[in-house]
Amino acid sequence: MSFSPRPPARLLATPPVWIVALVLVVAGCSRSEPVAQPEEEGAAGAESESTDEPFKLGNAVEPFDPPSRDELEQVEWIDRPVIASDASLRAAKEASGPPEITAAEALKMHNDSAEDNRKILGALSQLAPEDGAGVDYDATIVRHVTGDIGSTNPLFASSVTDAELGDLTSFSPLSFDQNLEYFGPAERIVSWQSSADGTMDRIVLRDDLVWSDGKPLTAHDIEFTFRAIMTDHPLLVIPAVRSDVEHLKAVVAYDDQTVVYFHKEPTAVAYKNVLFPVLPKHVYEKTLPEDPSMRRSAAHSDLEDHPVSCGPYELTKRKKGEEFVVRRRESWYMHDGRQVRPKPYFAEVRVKIIEDANTALLALREGDIHSMELRAEQWTSQTNDERFYRLNTKVYGTEWTEFHFVWNQQTPYFKDSRVRWAMTYAFDYNELLNVICRGLYEQSVGTYHPASWMFPHDGPEPVKQDLQRAKALLDEAGWIDSDGDGFRDKEVEFEIKEEVDGETKTRIVRRRIPFEFVLMTYSSESGIQAATLMKECLDRIGVICHVKPTEFAAMQEANLEKSFDACMGGWGAGADPDTNVNIFGTGATRNYGSYSNSEVDRLFVEGRKEFDPEKRAAIYGRIHNLMWEDQPYTWLFYRSGFFAFNKRLRGYNYSPRGPLSYSPGFEAIYATGALP
Amino acid sequence: MTKTSTISPPKSSGFWREAWHRYRKRRLSMLALAFVGMLAVVAIAAPMIAGTKPIVCRFQGHIYFPCLGYYNPSWENPIFRAADVYPDYAAKLKQADPDSWAVYPLVFQDPYHRVRADEWPGRPGNPWGSEGTPSAQNYFGTTNVGYDVFAQMVHGTQIAMSVGFVSMGIAALIGITVGALAGYFGGWVDILLSRLIEVVMCVPTLVLILVLVAFLDNVTNWHLMAVIGCVSWTGIARLTRAEFLKLKQMEFVAAARAVGASPLRIMFRHMLRNALAPVLVPISFGIASAILVEASLSFLGFGASPPNPSWGTLLHAGQNDIEKMWWLIVFPGVAIFLTVLAYNLIGEGLQEATDPRLRQDSH
Repeated sequence: MSFSPRPPARLLATPPVWIVALVLVVAGCSRSEPVAQPEEEGAAGAESESTDEPFKLGNAVEPFDPPSRDELEQVEWIDRPVIASDASLRAAKEASGPPEITAAEALKMHNDSAEDNRKILGALSQLAPEDGAGVDYDATIVRHVTGDIGSTNPLFASSVTDAELGDLTSFSPLSFDQNLEYFGPAERIVSWQSSADGTMDRIVLRDDLVWSDGKPLTAHDIEFTFRAIMTDHPLLVIPAVRSDVEHLKAVVAYDDQTVVYFHKEPTAVAYKNVLFPVLPKHVYEKTLPEDPSMRRSAAHSDLEDHPVSCGPYELTKRKKGEEFVVRRRESWYMHDGRQVRPKPYFAEVRVKIIEDANTALLALREGDIHSMELRAEQWTSQTNDERFYRLNTKVYGTEWTEFHFVWNQQTPYFKDSRVRWAMTYAFDYNELLNVICRGLYEQSVGTYHPASWMFPHDGPEPVKQDLQRAKALLDEAGWIDSDGDGFRDKEVEFEIKEEVDGETKTRIVRRRIPFEFVLMTYSSESGIQAATLMKECLDRIGVICHVKPTEFAAMQEANLEKSFDACMGGWGAGADPDTNVNIFGTGATRNYGSYSNSEVDRLFVEGRKEFDPEKRAAIYGRIHNLMWEDQPYTWLFYRSGFFAFNKRLRGYNYSPRGPLSYSPGFEAIYATGALP
Repeated sequence: MTKTSTISPPKSSGFWREAWHRYRKRRLSMLALAFVGMLAVVAIAAPMIAGTKPIVCRFQGHIYFPCLGYYNPSWENPIFRAADVYPDYAAKLKQADPDSWAVYPLVFQDPYHRVRADEWPGRPGNPWGSEGTPSAQNYFGTTNVGYDVFAQMVHGTQIAMSVGFVSMGIAALIGITVGALAGYFGGWVDILLSRLIEVVMCVPTLVLILVLVAFLDNVTNWHLMAVIGCVSWTGIARLTRAEFLKLKQMEFVAAARAVGASPLRIMFRHMLRNALAPVLVPISFGIASAILVEASLSFLGFGASPPNPSWGTLLHAGQNDIEKMWWLIVFPGVAIFLTVLAYNLIGEGLQEATDPRLRQDSH
């Protein structure tokens, strides 16, 4: 089962985590890669255009003459790993030895310290034996999400909940493990090879894959989906999936099982192009030309409610705003009367949509839901009593999600890196980490997590508050208190465009402005607290900062339009450091602060083309250090993932992206005995 | 000299004196008035009751009043920033000038930040979260991030009082003017102004404020007061109009007109003082509802920009940890309840004291 990454959070209806995590840059999975425009906008634009344009499948695919089978045999192929989904995790668990305590002991404990957490997680993270002994295969698990599904069509997936559904029901030829390393899952494919020159990937599918309607899944479905995505039609709006697929020249099915992906250029992250979702050709080849929007026709709205999918589970019930239910699919693990794949651990997965975190916690205490992600304040103060521990236990793990203040370099305040460093030195990290974050998070030292492979050996040390240094830096940058009112100001040049006799002329005006700016922040309690702390710190060095709690969608809009001074934000980890080019590359859509460093840009290109892992690590380490010198952000902390699980659940293990969103992730979680 | 009659008619004590006399007899209303008076004192003296800035200090040979910075940051002399004393007066003033002295507020706590360890030399920092129970150091406990609840409540009184008075001041000004014009002139003026009143009545205060908050970068309580004031004058205007419609038929108005008094003079010098009593009642109730509006806005997180030590903000902070941190709910909740109750009692007292039909002795 593939665990698709978290999708662009700007499309999230409801923030899923403690402080709304902008998990925008995500692991190299096609469906969640950066999007140029929000879907709604695109759809609206499409309305006005001609809608009767004839539908021509794959009209955006450039003409390409695929090599023949024999020619392909001449190519030098490198075998890539194809292993069972849980093989890597199993090996890791075996290497780490038996747990310190038994599960029964762990369930009696309260998780009050890092040591407790290690013991509890050690005991309860044990995987089920390969023969499935002790697993209650009849169990139903009730999970929790904060927002509803947008669409069950994987091409439209955009929210976290869509991704959760995709994890359970969709087909993807590749997965990544708990170390964010990609592999071919043996449940789905036979082999995965890349050409030595990096221009092609060849994948051979298993011949026992069937769609939920009983038809076999073949390489032709993949080729069809590629062509469908690469179709220009005003009604078909799928920019998210399209942006990655565009790196492909062609996708060709050589027979029912063999599919070859031809990349436009060889890169170290070419496998990302392979990860687009797959649609059943036998269904959509009829319905798509009739309704290219994939949303309007009767056939498509029927498919929306009863999708034809090819994952371990299939959707059986969907109640808008309340829950959706998926059931284990027999045709997934049984083929021609014998078991061909491991049987998924749950008979049914119900996913309940509860927006309010406190309501969800109440439901968890009562056993109405069996797992949820906790907020930091819930972890510290609302989950320590017997009412919580009666049915549940809790664990945490480090995730590579960092939070920061982004400084808009288009404003007159933050152009100068000395000013940004002054902001960094002014902030009281002790107060943030110990009081606001309750000592649960570690301080961030830049864009990549210190535990990741791309983090530099000579990485930066955490900053300590140093008001004198901050003041000195501001003085140096010219922000001084010239009028004696106690607050800093500076004479700044403004470009004013005016029209004189029909000609646009640019006039430069110098004006003295006070250092007074607006810091946008999440409207969550901790977001406001962190920003208010910044305000307090800046007041000490004579800078006026107004805190503006902003609703998530409005904040995203301001970010994209770059109409803000400073803003709090957070990024989740991509499976590959290359994804960060979308936030720090010059002119990138999500480069909200308009950061630009030509050396960083150059290194990102270089890193993409470098195949040697050590050299790649060095390149990204250099990027990390360069960006640290420039301080486009003031990095605050890495957020841990706090989860509560019902006591009957076992087998949860953390990846840098949390305990669910990788392979096996949720797939490895099982229930012992009946869930209460 | 001849003695004239010793019997003189009892002098009328006047409407207002009589009303006050009757009001004084209502014990609850008097209690409410005393309570509001006390709140007013607390509000005005807030920086002297709770704060971390000296009320008065001598520094480098001059006398300063740094606590004025709580009213308005620019009233705090920048010399302390230049001398690197700001804002740690207690710890750094003596270091910067050994001859200095300072008088500190009664309670050394701050509504705008957590008092850290040794901010007052030798005293531990404020606890936070569920550790922050009411104690000798923090009378009303502390918030999730260690702000002192007592200091926030004291400074929040300023907000509650000013929201009530300023917004109703604006409302009264607009309401009485519009009502007086409509009632006195009648005719098409009345028709136009009455329609205006109806239009404004349709504007929902909360929604208007939400829109405003979305547009402004730095929302202050003054913005909220202005909005509340600008939409809640309709009741006052209607009452004033009705009074004026009645009064303009009276003989004294005809008399004033006969001697050539200008309409403005008649309206505001002769008629208004006679119309004022019934108008005071909705103003008093309006103050109570303005306080509630501000508190509910802050509770919903749409109040003034943080840090905003309003009672509603405290309630907001308490809602997530209601089981553990009862002090975040109880103290501000009681304060809001009592204040609103007090204004309502005052309004009721005024109503009964000024309405001749409700007089006990009129029968």
